[in-house]
Amino acid sequence: MKRTVLLLALCLMAVANLFALGQRETQSSDVVTITWWHPNSGIAGKATDTLIERFNATIGKDEGIVVTGVYQGKANDVLTKTKAIMQSATTTDLPDLVQLDGAAVLDVRDDKSLITIEHLANEDGYDLSQIIEAARLSVTYRERMIAMPFNSSTILLYYNKSAFDEVGISEPPKTLDDLTQAAVKLKQTDARGKVTRYGFANVPTTYELMCWLGQQNGLSFITDEENGHTGIPTRVLFDDNGTMVNFLNKWKTLYATGALENLTSDLNGAFASGRVAMIVASTSNLTTIEQMVGSRFALGVAPFPMVDERATGGVNVGGGALWALDNKSGHEKETWQFIKFLASAESQLYWHIETGYFPIHRDTYTLEAFVQHLSENPRAGVAIEQLLSSNPRLQGIWVPSAYQIYYAFQSGILKMLEEGRSAEETSRALAREIDGYLADFLRMQQ
Amino acid sequence: MKSAYPKQIKPYLLIAPALLLAVLFSYRPFILTLINSLHTVSLAGKRLSFIGLENYTRLFVNPSFLASLSNTLRFTLFFVPTNVVICLAAALLSNRPGRLATLNQIFFFLPMAVGLSSSMMIIKMMFNPSIGIINQLLGFDIQWFNNRHAAMTLLVIAGVGLDIGLDFLLLSAALRNVPSDLLEVAKIEGASGVQTFRYLQAPLIGSTLLFVVVTNIKDAMLISSPVMILTEGGPFRSTQTLVYQMYLEGFKSGNYAIGSAIATVVFLLTFTVLLLLLRLERRRVYYQ
Amino acid sequence: MRRLIPIAATLFSLAVVFPIFYTISASFFPYTDFTAIPARLLPSVPTLDNYARAFRESNLLVFLSNSLYSALAGTVLRMTISILGAYAFTFFTFRGKNLLFVLIVATMLLPPDALILENYTTIRSLRLTDTYLGIISTTLLAPTHLFMLRQYFKTVSQEYREAAIIEGCSDSRFLTTLLIPISKAVIITLAIHSFSTIFNDYLWPLLVTNREMMRTVQVGLTMLGFSENLDYGPQFAAITVLMTPILITFIALHNPIQDSVSTRFTGR
Repeated sequence: MKRTVLLLALCLMAVANLFALGQRETQSSDVVTITWWHPNSGIAGKATDTLIERFNATIGKDEGIVVTGVYQGKANDVLTKTKAIMQSATTTDLPDLVQLDGAAVLDVRDDKSLITIEHLANEDGYDLSQIIEAARLSVTYRERMIAMPFNSSTILLYYNKSAFDEVGISEPPKTLDDLTQAAVKLKQTDARGKVTRYGFANVPTTYELMCWLGQQNGLSFITDEENGHTGIPTRVLFDDNGTMVNFLNKWKTLYATGALENLTSDLNGAFASGRVAMIVASTSNLTTIEQMVGSRFALGVAPFPMVDERATGGVNVGGGALWALDNKSGHEKETWQFIKFLASAESQLYWHIETGYFPIHRDTYTLEAFVQHLSENPRAGVAIEQLLSSNPRLQGIWVPSAYQIYYAFQSGILKMLEEGRSAEETSRALAREIDGYLADFLRMQQ
Repeated sequence: MKSAYPKQIKPYLLIAPALLLAVLFSYRPFILTLINSLHTVSLAGKRLSFIGLENYTRLFVNPSFLASLSNTLRFTLFFVPTNVVICLAAALLSNRPGRLATLNQIFFFLPMAVGLSSSMMIIKMMFNPSIGIINQLLGFDIQWFNNRHAAMTLLVIAGVGLDIGLDFLLLSAALRNVPSDLLEVAKIEGASGVQTFRYLQAPLIGSTLLFVVVTNIKDAMLISSPVMILTEGGPFRSTQTLVYQMYLEGFKSGNYAIGSAIATVVFLLTFTVLLLLLRLERRRVYYQ
Repeated sequence: MRRLIPIAATLFSLAVVFPIFYTISASFFPYTDFTAIPARLLPSVPTLDNYARAFRESNLLVFLSNSLYSALAGTVLRMTISILGAYAFTFFTFRGKNLLFVLIVATMLLPPDALILENYTTIRSLRLTDTYLGIISTTLLAPTHLFMLRQYFKTVSQEYREAAIIEGCSDSRFLTTLLIPISKAVIITLAIHSFSTIFNDYLWPLLVTNREMMRTVQVGLTMLGFSENLDYGPQFAAITVLMTPILITFIALHNPIQDSVSTRFTGR
């Protein structure tokens, strides 16, 4: 009998433990803990940790707030986890703050757990125009700012300056035609005709297409509803307004030279090892690429190439933003304090220097330390100049099924190149496929 | 004298947990998945309206799904024979006495000690085109993650790495169970290695071989984790498999209805293949 | 021709084991060794820095303990459910016995991976996300194990049990003092298999756990973030830490392992 009782007791204990929610941070009653989920690893991860430490040691200490940062994987992993909780019954498990990228917008935007920055700023009397316009508009929906831009970036052209000097190109290419000409010169083959160095490597991603299509004619929309910033997009416009056909034709010409490699991954590695002479990548990759290139060759950066001379729209703000969520803890004021800290001129300066993301607070640009940093690092200035001279209304697209759309673009363009299809045909096919995804999404709305 | 009543309840109590689990985590979800696939479902998971087979008709003209279907079938076609040949060869080559043979055997089943994530991470790093050891050591220039054929090959390699441990053990054990006196007789009669295998060993290890083939096919049709970790379906969806797409649609894009439709297709496919193979077993396998 | 066999076997097996060797070696590489030309197989200057960083910059130990705990708990529960079920189906007669047996075993045909969408919804509504029970719940029923245990139990004659009952032995005593010890080999084999299946599960724990402290090591390993920056050293170190105990166990116990496979699969 005793043995059975003992056994039963052990079982009960074990069962209770099974329901355990893992380790919970103990909350003392006078300190408010704020959780921040983010996808920052490597250099950005270290910078994130430093910013958190700084806050906890200054404002945090004064106001009794402790911030805990949790690395949740890559950007879309963070989204998957956040979404999972948002749709469950236990929204108390939501983090107070989550850093998400553009693909996440549609999932979070209309959720009842979202606390908009507009609301938090108004409660506090914070002037949102301190945030630079392009960044501000990138998170504005129906005239209200719903998130705080944080890791903002644009795209740059990274090029192998040593290779340029080698073949006698003095200026980085400005348009796709220039790019094609440069790529041809930079291409190198060995005795057997195998390509040992490609001029350029890329398969257009959604982000790049937003710029290449959007910059045409000063400003061009890819979908209706102003790329999803005024409502849910119902159809794409890039086929009707001819921007896609224009771009695809240029791309086909580039591919026909044989100097373009269709790489979709490990572009940084291919570039840093010298196999490819030019790539386009986010400005946030600057420090990583500088480290990877090391002293192998001279690195140059240039503004993102235009489709043609009429494509003056520039680039749009990409990257991610901070979203405040309501987890029924009542800590929104404390969360806002932390958001203000992260968005402040000094924090943005530090964040920029460490990672290459550009500062979103307008006062950073006039800080002495910033000006000095720019003069010592002209490369960092290229991205900033590019952004400030772009049309701020050129915004990223907020569409559902981001993954599928990304694959649709990539597969469609690859097919065009490999099967020699026409630009018109490809543009139509892409429009049809993506309209299908948009229609699917609309059907799922209640 | 114990009354008859408690005695009757007892077996039901004993099998109750198993039954409950079967219903809760196998039958109920199965039926719900089927039902969901016949409706439109909202982002929050609520069923909206009945649309019959419309999800399926839209699925079969969806280029993404057709890619998944083709990729999964092609992967199964490449993987199963490759894996069976490799494991069988390993088992046959090490089926001999001696300490060296034992060492060979240990090496062959050691991959089983490396878990799935670990294996995939190792492959991801070793096959990195720029700094991975494979390209550097063997002088290759293969874009493992950027070239469609290379990526599929990589997936097959990953699959073999995952299954070789267990499959080798099974085949090796089956070979050991072939009575040695029969092998002696064959040797005396002057049969060559190939003949010995074809007429003596193969039929006797038939049931194990079939088991390996069946489980390989099932694993191949359902493959998802290696895709997730290694290629994420790329390049250009060339390694996107059915279960991976189901995960993308269901979890990342919130299209539960389409996800459920894909799940149903997966059921049907695996079920059909398994049935076909079990038929085969009845006719062709020799039991001692 | 015959003499080539040992050579072929050895070369082949070395190729198979190469990744394991490389992983252990690379875990001691300094950062520059990875980009060295010509490629290095052994560290130039072995360093323990990777290990230090793997533990310092991640929650590897937490992940490991989560995996161990859930695999252990899951194995115990799984074996209990399978043993009790197999026992009932072998030694009792009751109405619907055959039908219920087929019902339970037929779940083998429904691959759990294809059911994850609905199972996830179920776990969510049961409020079991981010709990150990949530992680193991879908694997608690092992139809193949139940089937095999029943096959094995059937070889124990009914008279044996009837004799025991006449002697006044209750069912639970029969089970614990007689049946289980007899079936030790099979049960241990199945338990080891259960443990490794649950320990190695990737997709399901990925979905069910959101909080970092609840992650299992399989999921955690892919989220360390080192490999994205081409910083392979700490990643290899983490893998080595995970891999080594199991490697040693397998090498040490290679005889029982190879034998256990035979007993399971001779003549289906």
